[in-house]
Amino acid sequence: MLLDLSEEHREHLAFLPQVDSAVVAEFGRIAVEFLRRGSNPKIYEGAARKLNVSSDTVQHGVEGLTYLLTESSKLMISELDFQDSVFVLGFSEELNKLLLQLYLDNRREIRTILSELAPDLPSYHSLEWRLDVQLASRSLRQQIKPAVTIKLHLNQNGDHNTKVLQTDPATLLHLVQQLEQALEEMKTNHCRRVVRNIK
Amino acid sequence: MRPLEKADRMDPVSSEERIESGSASTKRPGPPVQKGFQMLADPGSFDSNAFTLLLRAAYQSLLDAQADEAVLDHPDLKHIDPVVLKHCHAAAATYILEAGKHRADKSTLSTYLEDCKFDRERIELFCTEYQNNKNSIEILLGSIGRSLPHITDVSWRLEYQIKTNQLHKMYRPAYLVTLNIENTDSRSYPEISFSCNMEQLQDLVGKLKDASKSLERATHL
Repeated sequence: MLLDLSEEHREHLAFLPQVDSAVVAEFGRIAVEFLRRGSNPKIYEGAARKLNVSSDTVQHGVEGLTYLLTESSKLMISELDFQDSVFVLGFSEELNKLLLQLYLDNRREIRTILSELAPDLPSYHSLEWRLDVQLASRSLRQQIKPAVTIKLHLNQNGDHNTKVLQTDPATLLHLVQQLEQALEEMKTNHCRRVVRNIK
Repeated sequence: MRPLEKADRMDPVSSEERIESGSASTKRPGPPVQKGFQMLADPGSFDSNAFTLLLRAAYQSLLDAQADEAVLDHPDLKHIDPVVLKHCHAAAATYILEAGKHRADKSTLSTYLEDCKFDRERIELFCTEYQNNKNSIEILLGSIGRSLPHITDVSWRLEYQIKTNQLHKMYRPAYLVTLNIENTDSRSYPEISFSCNMEQLQDLVGKLKDASKSLERATHL
């Protein structure tokens, strides 16, 4: 599958051959860093001064490179397809090799970052538990009522959330049984077939 | 066994039944209950049949969610002054709850009823009815109160993630687990849902299993 690069995108990338490889490599490093931590416009200004161009040009160059890397990583295109896609830009052999290397070196990490953008449900982090026995209450004395208190730690969009819950022994056994069945499902023939065949 | 301490707060008799008695250290109900019981003790006001009916009406009011004032609408109670009827009904219900709350035994009950001038037969009747309904009353009282949100059930979903608009060719299994919760005070039933991968679910199940093994060991001590 080839990447479809728009007119605007190509214009932005057209800056890259005008600087030497070390600069392109540096842009690549900046692009990945921005994906990790968010962009920092001051970097553009510093680079623009050093290269004697407008900071807009630098920004477009970096953004163009970022988009190239993220699209390629998202689609997980093969080396060959990447090379063919970049070929249409008419860059030098050396620049093409550099871009390919940038892609291969960073795509795993970029995919991890992209996976965090998916619609997010709270996800499990960990669980703490405690056994309690209720001995009395305002409305009834002399009780022996066992309960399990659970602190469930969840993550959502980077926020840590905890929920304190309780359950009784019978329900606890039921929960264990149901969730063990859930784990067993992955080992069934059906699931194995799906995993094997959808690639 | 000594009769229970005098209660300091006892509302004037109302026709509304109170499920929860407010006094923390009540072991002997106050004047309104005592007066009601003294009337109940009197064969002139309540014959044996009426006495039993009134007791049963008290239990019905407490245990039957649909019960209302009609519990006292029995032909064999018609001849009794309605004010007296309501007073005695409230007294009986109040005392039954107090006795239930403190897990009173037969001798405690007998002593108090003797003080109220109940004859032997009525004491026996009262204790029998009490014994018959003891478990239900205790379950009722035990269910009142605040507690943490309570997990009642779990459901799960196993999915195989193929792609998102941000990431193609994913190919990984994921679980979505939903815990059904009951909130006893607000009577609401929220749910807690979360996703997890296989390792995380194994961690979760492992910890729950630890808890249940611990529970098993504790119950054998």
